[in-house]
Amino acid sequence: MKIKFNNRDPVYVQVIRHFKNQIAKGFLEPGQAIPSRRELANQLKINPNTAQRAFKEMEEEGLIKTERNQPSRVTSDENILQDLRDELIIQAVNEFVHSVKSINVPLDDALNLVKQKYGKEKGDLDD
Amino acid sequence: MIEFKNVVKKYGRKVVLDGVNFTANKGEITCLIGVNGVGKTTIMNAIMKLTPVQSGEILVDGEKVTKKTFEKVAFIPDAATMLPNMKIEEAMEFMDDFYTSWNQSRANELLDFFNLKKKDKISSLSKGNTAKVNLLMGLALDVDYILMDEPFSGIDIFTREQIAEVFTSHLIEDRGVIITTHEINDIEHLIDKAVLLDNGTIYKEFNTETMREDEGKSVIDVMREVYRG
Repeated sequence: MKIKFNNRDPVYVQVIRHFKNQIAKGFLEPGQAIPSRRELANQLKINPNTAQRAFKEMEEEGLIKTERNQPSRVTSDENILQDLRDELIIQAVNEFVHSVKSINVPLDDALNLVKQKYGKEKGDLDD
Repeated sequence: MIEFKNVVKKYGRKVVLDGVNFTANKGEITCLIGVNGVGKTTIMNAIMKLTPVQSGEILVDGEKVTKKTFEKVAFIPDAATMLPNMKIEEAMEFMDDFYTSWNQSRANELLDFFNLKKKDKISSLSKGNTAKVNLLMGLALDVDYILMDEPFSGIDIFTREQIAEVFTSHLIEDRGVIITTHEINDIEHLIDKAVLLDNGTIYKEFNTETMREDEGKSVIDVMREVYRG
């Protein structure tokens, strides 16, 4: 696990974003155990306090669940997982609309391009 | 918590610390930032009573610094601390004799962590490895606070990464760390709190995550405002 951090967003927010992406892409499955706070800090090369903060927020959002003396696990709650997918899709669409609009591309042209590209882009969805 | 309250330090007529106030909490990494000559090292020396201050108070867990507080604080200076003709293992023995808080199993762990060989003579080590030995001697003490003076200066990138890794490990966890640097890049993501110094005073003291969250600024953004603005 490796994240390229930017310097202007809070690190804990970037960590949460990373987890959300991993969950949405299915790299982390519902109910799967995730590394402890300490392991996470070490793997991502971040401050343990920051890892702690990210965990706390994810617990509050219901993304992960921690029971006593057990590793934290990704939630199995379908509603939360669906909300998460919606959130990420809306985010991506917003960004797309914003950049396309800023260069005055007509909606139909943009949509046609999306359709063309969507079919082509398959294998290279890494990260 | 280590507290500075209005600390003034002069060398002759030259004022080095001109009313310094800041706090460094246990369990957090506090970074003193400033160009060369602003008094970063003087602050560390003052905590260890290696240099007298003219006025103000320095408190460790609410107590004035004395011999007793030295048991709680380890200072890792940027110069070699051990006799150069000692081997690393001899230096460790030396530390063990001197400090009740010496933790040999942690020292062994650090040897592995840094890929150091205990039979190596300190004088034969590269600059990077000398810095690692310094860190080893300080981090192997079971103390609540660790002061690190410029652990990254003059060190190659991979060694810097290795040293930075210490901050994300249990070797540091739960302790209070004060680190000085003029190259914040290496540890921007690792620190809890930044304290910006200039001309012997504190310009700004802030929590890095709060700064990113509330103002969308990196530590370097804030430094640019403060030092160039």
